[in-house]
Amino acid sequence: MKNQLKAVWQFFFGDSARAFGSVSLILLVLLAISPAKNHFSQWRHYQKQYLHLIRGRADAVTLERHFQGGIQQIWIPEQQVTDRCTTCHLGLKEASLADVSAVAFRKHPVVPHSLTEFGCTTCHRGQGAATTVEEAHNSTEQWEQPLLPAKYIEAGCGQCHLEKPTATPFLNQGRDLISSNGCTHCHTIKRGDGTYILPDDDPPSLKHIADKTTREWIYAWIKDPQAYAGTATMPNYHLRDDDARDISAFVISQSTALQPPIQPGQTDTKPAEDPAAGTSLYGQSFCASCHAMQNAAGILVGGNVGPELTGIGTKAKPEWLQDWVANPNHYDPGTMMPHYRFDATQVATLAGFLESKTEPDLVANVHLDPATSPQIEHGKKLVVENGCASCHEINGIKKPENFAPELSRIGSKPLSQLLFVEGVEHTLPGYVAAKVRSPRAFGPSLKMPQFNLTPLQIDAITTALLAQTDRSQTQPPAMRIASVQQTKYEPAGHAGQLMGDLRCLTCHVINGHGGDMAPDLTWEGTAVQREWLTQFLKNPETLRPALIRRMPKFNLTDAEITTLADYMMTVYQTPQFDRDSLPVSEFSPAVVEQGRQLFYSKFACQSCHIADYAKDKGYIGPALAGTGKRFYAAWIYHWLQDPQSLRPGTIEPNQHMTDDEARSLTAFLMSLNATGSKEATKK
Amino acid sequence: MANTLDQLVEQVRENRIWRSIFRSGTGASNLHRALFVQQNVFLHLFSVKARKRTVGFSATWYLGALTFGTFLILVITGILLMLYYHPSVPQAYADMKDLQFVVSSGVFLRNLHRWSAHAMVFLVFAHMFKVFYRGAYRPPREFNWVIGVVLLLVTLLLSYTGYLLPWDQLAYWAVTVGSNIASAVPVMGSKIRFLMLGGTAVNANALLRFYVLHCVILPFTATLLVAIHFWRIRKDGGIYAGEPATKGKSE
Repeated sequence: MKNQLKAVWQFFFGDSARAFGSVSLILLVLLAISPAKNHFSQWRHYQKQYLHLIRGRADAVTLERHFQGGIQQIWIPEQQVTDRCTTCHLGLKEASLADVSAVAFRKHPVVPHSLTEFGCTTCHRGQGAATTVEEAHNSTEQWEQPLLPAKYIEAGCGQCHLEKPTATPFLNQGRDLISSNGCTHCHTIKRGDGTYILPDDDPPSLKHIADKTTREWIYAWIKDPQAYAGTATMPNYHLRDDDARDISAFVISQSTALQPPIQPGQTDTKPAEDPAAGTSLYGQSFCASCHAMQNAAGILVGGNVGPELTGIGTKAKPEWLQDWVANPNHYDPGTMMPHYRFDATQVATLAGFLESKTEPDLVANVHLDPATSPQIEHGKKLVVENGCASCHEINGIKKPENFAPELSRIGSKPLSQLLFVEGVEHTLPGYVAAKVRSPRAFGPSLKMPQFNLTPLQIDAITTALLAQTDRSQTQPPAMRIASVQQTKYEPAGHAGQLMGDLRCLTCHVINGHGGDMAPDLTWEGTAVQREWLTQFLKNPETLRPALIRRMPKFNLTDAEITTLADYMMTVYQTPQFDRDSLPVSEFSPAVVEQGRQLFYSKFACQSCHIADYAKDKGYIGPALAGTGKRFYAAWIYHWLQDPQSLRPGTIEPNQHMTDDEARSLTAFLMSLNATGSKEATKK
Repeated sequence: MANTLDQLVEQVRENRIWRSIFRSGTGASNLHRALFVQQNVFLHLFSVKARKRTVGFSATWYLGALTFGTFLILVITGILLMLYYHPSVPQAYADMKDLQFVVSSGVFLRNLHRWSAHAMVFLVFAHMFKVFYRGAYRPPREFNWVIGVVLLLVTLLLSYTGYLLPWDQLAYWAVTVGSNIASAVPVMGSKIRFLMLGGTAVNANALLRFYVLHCVILPFTATLLVAIHFWRIRKDGGIYAGEPATKGKSE
């Protein structure tokens, strides 16, 4: 054996010439490795597979003509895109490859963007320059940004789309949730266009909190807000008993009396005798349009604009409730709640009804001794540490600046800058989702509280956060679709004050501002007749029989109604046409009849609208039986021709009618003069 | 077979074109051999004659020659790499990625350049230890030792300047730290740092400066010093192979 080895050694390295030859040969082989590796590269393997795949198909010739071998790339220097994904993903543009089982070669789903103009990594991330599967898709030491998981893919859209595209419901939901959960009270999130995601959860001021509720309730609430109301926005800080005791002591101690003070319960006004009066007043006032309340079966019924009222009697002091119902502006000038003009009996009835809605269990076991000054001092420390003043106004505590880390570029944060804990997937989406899901899992001493979110909501928020990338901040402005900015709009003068008092904009949209619960009033002055408007404000009847929500009765005085009607008829007019430009007298009975035909046959308007309460059953759009008394003919005429131009976003379809058709239909609609609502007609 | 091969070589070397390039021609005489060395611009730096034991492995372990060999590899791969590399902030790292993913044998080129650089630093040190422990630095070779020390510095600077060029995090912070160390020099520290970086932070200017140092100034300095180094070997009495036999026992 030894001799054999020696012989081999002698053969190769026996003398200098042999050694030189052998070493050269070895070197040559080593040098050949590199071109060999080039030749057997991964992408060539994929291109072969692709050719194999298309050869078996009916349209092989076309596909082969489209095929180009070698490394392919999409190069967009101004966006720093060099994407070689198309080297392997060869079928992205081949319509016939939509059904291919191999994901690598499948056609790209239809998107409104051209692949060659946007590249791949712009939306999907990953390493565009790479030509191996591992390097291109996953995070490696040299490239920390892996492919975005499919469920967060809308984050790609959110980098440029700062508005709310209909195609990205998940992203939009995430952004709304960030606002509605008040994330941005503590975290700053700047968008690419320089605007900020603003919170819209409207946390109450605690300046006069002692007027509103008790220390015991505060204690129970901050221990677990969702125990009081499942819909509560306030997150759970997992406070210890002592800490909750001290915080409640501090908050109460800082509260000052409201000026002018809340009057103690008026003894001279009694609530209505009828025990059902409270329930029916609650219903008539359409409180449920905004507020939810659990019914007897424990099911939550009502809107989510205002807080849930299931346990309001436990929370609010009776005299505060009375004061609030009588005029919410007194306690909170910034509230969204309108000022109903209730009389004293109604106030007592409604307040009494609300008082009866209690959750006694919540505070049953809370017994707090009077607060001592070390406790209050400790409470103050906790309030500062937990950043309570980021959301709530508290006397004596300044709103902290940048209380939590800025998240404007969280979507591009390198993994090396993140601290992972066990059980959290070692990716950026995994980290963000885990942080949103249970912040305290990253350490019990962390400040971020536990929010009450469903798994889908967590993913939506993660999507919205992942859209906050470096690219979103640095790309050329031309790439961006700007966000819709809410600016302040306040109607002017006396009527404006009145409209502010009634909080019209909580539900209605005017000039692009306001809520989305009720119709757009921007051109209301051109649309409706003054007599109808006056009557409606006096006693709003329902126009849309299918809706539970409707305009509440505010008990306005005649003078107030006149002010409002004057203002609306004068100011809210469209510049597109004159409301008097089409007198009703022009319509002959024949034209009316022709309109009736169009209504019922050609356009089948009755599928959504009611022209005759006895016959029609359309419940989608508003009832039209009283149109002749409600609208101006000119409005209807223009509306029929192009609804969207008068009210962008309305679901009324544009039927592209001819001028004559629109005129005949207008004539027919103006001939409808039924009074009252469907119920009224039945009676 | 061997004879015919020798004859073929002989024919080629007697060829007119060959003779026009290598004028010494064939022949085994000492004159021919001396002429062959002396009339070649590269070889004439060396002595025309060497003691047999100085060219054996044990005398030097070929450390100097191997160092020079790695230097040659570095020059060749370096020039090839320069074909793909732009010393600009937006391009530098992207060029690295191109070398990795689309340039034929790009990874091989980079790796060869990198490992040769490591090997060169190692070999330079090994060479110096060998020279030191053999006592080859002593007169009359003391000046060549000094040149060698300068070449060590040039080698280290070449390594350091090359480190920034990939423009990745490793490079960025290495140079940030390095330039901060330079700024610790008393009195003129911040000036030195400014001179190094061409500014106050590691940015486009620093990249360009390091590129020029790495690809022009330092390699030319090294080439010049290497030439002097080789030339001085000849002038100082050829490759040192221990004390003459008259003084030692073993030889």
